[in-house]
Amino acid sequence: MTNFDVTDGVLEVIEDTELPRRLKDEVLATAEERDVTKGQAREIATAVEAQYLDTRVDPLDPVGTVSAQSIGEPGTQMTMNTFHYAGVAEMDVTQGLPRLIELVDARKTPDTPIMTVFLEDEFGEEREKAHEVVWDIEATKILALGDISTNVADMVVRVDLNEDTLQERWPRVDSTNEIAGEVAETIEGSLGVTVTQDGTVLEFGPSEPSYRELLQLVEQLRDIVFKGIEDVTRVVIRREETDEGEEFVLYTEGSAFKKALKIEGVDATRTSCNNIHEVHKTLGIEAAREAIIEETMTTLEEQGLDDVNIRHLMLVADIMTNDGTIQSIGRHGISGNKDSVLARAAFEVTVNHLLDAAVHGESDDLDGVIENVIVGKPVRLGTGDVDLRMGVTESD
Amino acid sequence: MVDVSQHELVPEHTVLDEDTLEEVLEDYEIDRTELPKIKRKDPALPDDAEVGDVVKIVRDSRTTDEAIVYRLVIE
Repeated sequence: MTNFDVTDGVLEVIEDTELPRRLKDEVLATAEERDVTKGQAREIATAVEAQYLDTRVDPLDPVGTVSAQSIGEPGTQMTMNTFHYAGVAEMDVTQGLPRLIELVDARKTPDTPIMTVFLEDEFGEEREKAHEVVWDIEATKILALGDISTNVADMVVRVDLNEDTLQERWPRVDSTNEIAGEVAETIEGSLGVTVTQDGTVLEFGPSEPSYRELLQLVEQLRDIVFKGIEDVTRVVIRREETDEGEEFVLYTEGSAFKKALKIEGVDATRTSCNNIHEVHKTLGIEAAREAIIEETMTTLEEQGLDDVNIRHLMLVADIMTNDGTIQSIGRHGISGNKDSVLARAAFEVTVNHLLDAAVHGESDDLDGVIENVIVGKPVRLGTGDVDLRMGVTESD
Repeated sequence: MVDVSQHELVPEHTVLDEDTLEEVLEDYEIDRTELPKIKRKDPALPDDAEVGDVVKIVRDSRTTDEAIVYRLVIE
């Protein structure tokens, strides 16, 4: 709690209200700025408190329904298919409705997985250092390193490595010979062949002369990852203004959050990922909840729908993460796990639910909204859950 | 090993002792199984947390200063 330069009387009046901390601080700040008297402070506090209590959600208010409408209506205004660049040069990022659907459906992998990688200390300041991290993240395959040729007469695959590229991608090693040696070792390890190295030229072939195997070796060679993370196909480096000042930030196409956090130079306190499942696995359920709120809000904001109240998205994220795992909204998640047979049947695949319920002899307690609408009873929400009786007084 | 608790997305998790837990449950008039859950293998969970424990989570709230929530550790 911050200290405000107000008299004890004013402080007491404001602290005495039912307001939450954040609002009390706001009122105190205003009181300090305007230099109000105790009497004025009481008036202000009463007015603010009245407004606060008036706008507060009432008991038995159907907050879920309100949230659904509040997200659903702006959702109708979202573009059906924006599929390009979101602040980052030439990077495809799923936006708008498809992205929102992807999030609430809790898809295992997003259409365009992306990591935002922040860098530590000097890695974020010097371009060269930042590039070191880039090569530790971006997957390096053989085609990026040199040319492959097959000699069918001698049954050998010949790889002519490009010295400049080697130097660029292994900035921490000085001699290209040594790097080529490393590459040779990786090939030996993955393909199970003996590689002969002559400077930056590598040669190897199948143990038995076989044309088919030779071609297969070349195929497999193309898939080997020599450096970096396999799932990351591209890294874009940008200089950006952040909370820490100006620094280099990396954006990756493809994601491997857990692996990325362990790389030297990566700031493991700020780096994030747009795949909520990866966030869940790496940082836990609470972080996943934060990520869901963050992602849904940015998706809406990008579409100019920033007037959706954050509380609705918080509610959605709370429900999705309630059981310790990420559940989707819909048939396979929240709606499919409802206790009531009738509620589930009303949502999707009606016959299957009714049939299964009949087979298992399920009963319905009629606690929820949908089942009560179906049977024509008052819904137990709002005024529907409050019993009122007319007061009877005896007359003489 | 990366220290998960240092990440800005991860709020503070602490294991609640039984006495405070009783108070909390009484306050809300609920049973501990009605609390939201957290898996025992959750990376953000303190090492001494066991199944059946309740962790207290202090979030930086977007709508108020701090939001305190509780999760029951399962399987």
